[in-house]
Amino acid sequence: MLLRDGIVRMLEAYGFDVVAAVDNGPDLVKELVGQRPDVAVVDVRLPPTYTDEGLRAALTARAEIPGLPVLVLSQYVERLYARELLADGAGGIGYLLKDRVSDIDEFIDAVRRVAAGGTALDPTVVAKLMDSREHIVSLTQLTAREREVLGHMAQGRSNAAIGTALFITEKAVAKHTNNIFAKLGLQSSEDDNRRVLAVLRYLDG
Amino acid sequence: MIVLAGVAAALCAAAAVYLFRLFLRMVPGRRRWLAATATFGAGLATVDLIVWVATGGGYFWPAWTILGLSALLSLHAWIVSRPPGRRERELAARVGTLTRSRSEALDRQAAELKRVERDLHDGAQARMVSLALTLGLAGRMVRHDPDGAERLLDEARSTARAALDDLRAVMHSIHPPVLADRGLGDAVRALVLDLAVPVTVTGEAPSGLNAATETAAYFAVAECLSNVVKHSGATAAEVTFADRLITVTDDGTGGADLAAGTGLRGIADRLDAVDARLEVDSPPGGPTRIVLRIPI
Repeated sequence: MLLRDGIVRMLEAYGFDVVAAVDNGPDLVKELVGQRPDVAVVDVRLPPTYTDEGLRAALTARAEIPGLPVLVLSQYVERLYARELLADGAGGIGYLLKDRVSDIDEFIDAVRRVAAGGTALDPTVVAKLMDSREHIVSLTQLTAREREVLGHMAQGRSNAAIGTALFITEKAVAKHTNNIFAKLGLQSSEDDNRRVLAVLRYLDG
Repeated sequence: MIVLAGVAAALCAAAAVYLFRLFLRMVPGRRRWLAATATFGAGLATVDLIVWVATGGGYFWPAWTILGLSALLSLHAWIVSRPPGRRERELAARVGTLTRSRSEALDRQAAELKRVERDLHDGAQARMVSLALTLGLAGRMVRHDPDGAERLLDEARSTARAALDDLRAVMHSIHPPVLADRGLGDAVRALVLDLAVPVTVTGEAPSGLNAATETAAYFAVAECLSNVVKHSGATAAEVTFADRLITVTDDGTGGADLAAGTGLRGIADRLDAVDARLEVDSPPGGPTRIVLRIPI
């Protein structure tokens, strides 16, 4: 409730046009399918069940409208849910801890990225992956640097942003990403889609 | 002879009264019925003797009824003193188990609450205090040192995040969110995604479990898998749901023992409280196979 009003205010302040704000799963599906917004910000837990109603609503709506951009917020992040959200490979998915809202610039940036069809996975999910995914065959073929780049890709960063974060040139990042796509056996297609698939491969482990 | 019978009648009457009062005091059960029989016998003997005395004696016919009553009483006493049957022994054992597991469950719960209290106190609460302090300072600095205030606000924000991280960790240790959202099957699926050993999950988790059983089963599987990662040296593990059985197998070095160490014992005790059972088959050299039996 409190958070919803806050986010609506914040989005409006940053020039977004908020077409609907609802407080339960069924209404959410109706609005998502009916209004077809450019991007939706959704809480995982919603009435009436207060379980994963929001997540299910997002998945239902995306089944109707493939690639409908959804940014899911939650009090906790689970890889299982991240995987379910990304499973259709259509992109336009964000999955962040609610705390991230406090960093307004980053949050607004994430909303824009998701609206543009990119991904924005919470660093916590990515960090967990870094710790536990050492054994995955397809990922062990990646060098430490490439894994690092993949981690940033999962968070939805552009090559330029990854370059800044790792203190390397954008060209070097592009080389790494091409190596990652090749090693994960992702055929060249539309670049954005490959990025989503690489992240998905990463999550599947 | 008449006088003797009168004394005997008085004694029988006293015995009947005593036995009746005993009957009233006793807890319901087999021995109480014996007291009832004895009261009835003593009462009937008293009446017989009084009737014999009142009719002027003669042939001592009450001897037969008294003999019969004695035989009846002896038979009843014999039945009562017989060792308990199979069913009764089972029930007694069950009461013993319940008493023990209940007290263990209460102990564990108390210890768990204490841990949660300490975690909250040392973590989130401490950070909240520091947060309030930082915000207070920032408020006082905002006019004469806006830059300093901004720095403090940044600090406050990261403290708030750290407090949220702490709260999340505590909540996760009490009841994992996916377990609340989706139940046992997906909770285990979510759990194995974060493990360093690849674990496959097959089958459908039993549905319709009560919350206590589901939580106990979840933490049991979690502990088993944590053992797999920490001790087994396994390269792969599997969790199989089949009806009311959950099986955790790994290809590690084996040697897991219910009697040794506290980990498995802890799981077994925790499962005991919800009537679930743990079976461990882990020969030296492996593989290890742990079966959880969940009651219907």
